[in-house]
Amino acid sequence: MAALTPHSNSKLLTGPAAWWSSLAAMSKKELLIMLRYPVELVSSFGQVFLIVIILTLAGLMFSKDGVRPSDGNSNTAGVVVYGFILFMFLSDTLWTIGYNVRREQKQGTLEQLYLSPASKFASLLSRVTVTLTWTGVLCVASAFLMSAMIGRLPFTNLPLGVYILIMALAGTFGVGFAFAALTLRVRETGQTLANFFQFAFMVLCAPFFPFSALPGWMQNISRLIPLSYSVDAFRTVLMGTPPELASLPVEIVVVTAFGLLMPFAGYWLYRREEDIARTKGSLSEY
Amino acid sequence: MATITHPTFGQKLSAMLAETRLRLLNISRYPGQLVLEIIIPVVFASMPMLLGRATAGADAGANFAANTGTANYVAFLLIGSNVFTLVSNAFWHIAYWLRFEQETGTLEAIYLTPTSSLNLAAGVAVYSAIRGLTAAILSYIIGCLVFQVNPLQGDVLLALAFIFVGLIPLYGVAFLFGALVLKVKESNALVSLMQWVVSFLMGIFFPITVLPPFIRFVALLFPPTWITNGVRSSLLGVGFFFGQWYFDMAVLWAFLLFAPLFSFWVFNRVERNVKANEGVGEF
Repeated sequence: MAALTPHSNSKLLTGPAAWWSSLAAMSKKELLIMLRYPVELVSSFGQVFLIVIILTLAGLMFSKDGVRPSDGNSNTAGVVVYGFILFMFLSDTLWTIGYNVRREQKQGTLEQLYLSPASKFASLLSRVTVTLTWTGVLCVASAFLMSAMIGRLPFTNLPLGVYILIMALAGTFGVGFAFAALTLRVRETGQTLANFFQFAFMVLCAPFFPFSALPGWMQNISRLIPLSYSVDAFRTVLMGTPPELASLPVEIVVVTAFGLLMPFAGYWLYRREEDIARTKGSLSEY
Repeated sequence: MATITHPTFGQKLSAMLAETRLRLLNISRYPGQLVLEIIIPVVFASMPMLLGRATAGADAGANFAANTGTANYVAFLLIGSNVFTLVSNAFWHIAYWLRFEQETGTLEAIYLTPTSSLNLAAGVAVYSAIRGLTAAILSYIIGCLVFQVNPLQGDVLLALAFIFVGLIPLYGVAFLFGALVLKVKESNALVSLMQWVVSFLMGIFFPITVLPPFIRFVALLFPPTWITNGVRSSLLGVGFFFGQWYFDMAVLWAFLLFAPLFSFWVFNRVERNVKANEGVGEF
């Protein structure tokens, strides 16, 4: 029987190199799974275009110029496209981590993963790395398509827009970890909860319409959600419109704090829930 | 030696209704999902509604009327999102029914019984129509009440007639699509894409007159386009495609006679082909 030599391989199992290696290997696995379903890949591309076109055409029905290209129509398209970009990225980070934890549970491979010395953080992060890259490609393509159809989209301050997007993504990573923790607890109900939260986000964080369209009491709830500030700030800096929830510097501070603090809070919640599941022996239960 | 007797019509009907009952029983275990099905169309329709109100302000109704033929954008958009629910249900449930049996491990048992898979698929269609119609009607009424619009304006009976006549060709098209899923396997991806293609073509939130002529022609080949416009015209008076309701209804009847027969023929052919080659159990 082979004896374990704790010191000989320890350098291979810990440290930044091991972490990056785990992340790369796990992301590669996710990419391989994705490539096994080419129809799904093509379909996701088509879906994005269709949803953006449907919502833009719907918005243009309220425009005096109808579907004819005009400045007003570019703004309507801007609200829909930028809202959709945020919605896509946030959906990826919010639900994909929890969904994948659930998938490992269903496949019966979650316990094996926990027995390996690979970083748990890298394991969670790898779930969204490939998806986020793919979503980025889809978003750029849909922005070009809408520019070609409706007219040039406004890009007032692109670098600041990218900064806000990155901070919003970091924050939603944290929410994604917290949601994965919730999935470990509620199991199958997680899917229904994910749908519910997604629709609550669509209304309260107003990705597809200005906040002014919401009744006053709903706007007050929106002000309590950091993601609302991400949506408002993102739209403000790209479209050059005035912010609706607070002044732009305040919104940027909220978005930055959300992006820096939430990943730690979410990961802490996940590890806590994971410990509880391991103590109860319910890690692979579903 | 035992002889194989073909099931009678009564036995086929019994098998079909048993499948319907099974599915209804199964979904009754997930009340949260059913509630979401009622909420989703309202939330979905509220997106363009809120966008339009915010961008057009007081002119929202007038601009909408100039582009669509009615100032009642709440009902117009809610009708679109609820017909979308019906269409999505039809596509998801029919395309997914074999996958459901595969996942529950009952597919081989089903193929060993003397009941035709089409009888069982018809049972799924009945279940899907009950579920979709209940959700769509409740969602439309709740949506109208939330946005303070009368849900019972216009010719409600004519609108219901368009829906009921249109359901049969709609499920016919769904069967046709089910045959494609049987062949290609990737049901999730195909259904996700198809439901958006159909919602685009049927004019979920806009009249199809805004589409380019070729796409408009393709849209008119889909029964959901006629259902949506029939219901909107009956309730809101946006105008039938052929001017009078009975001409549009006649087109739906033509679909009703042609679509199911053609779909069953294609489905049977694909099923035979798949069984003879890679097998239906593979996914």
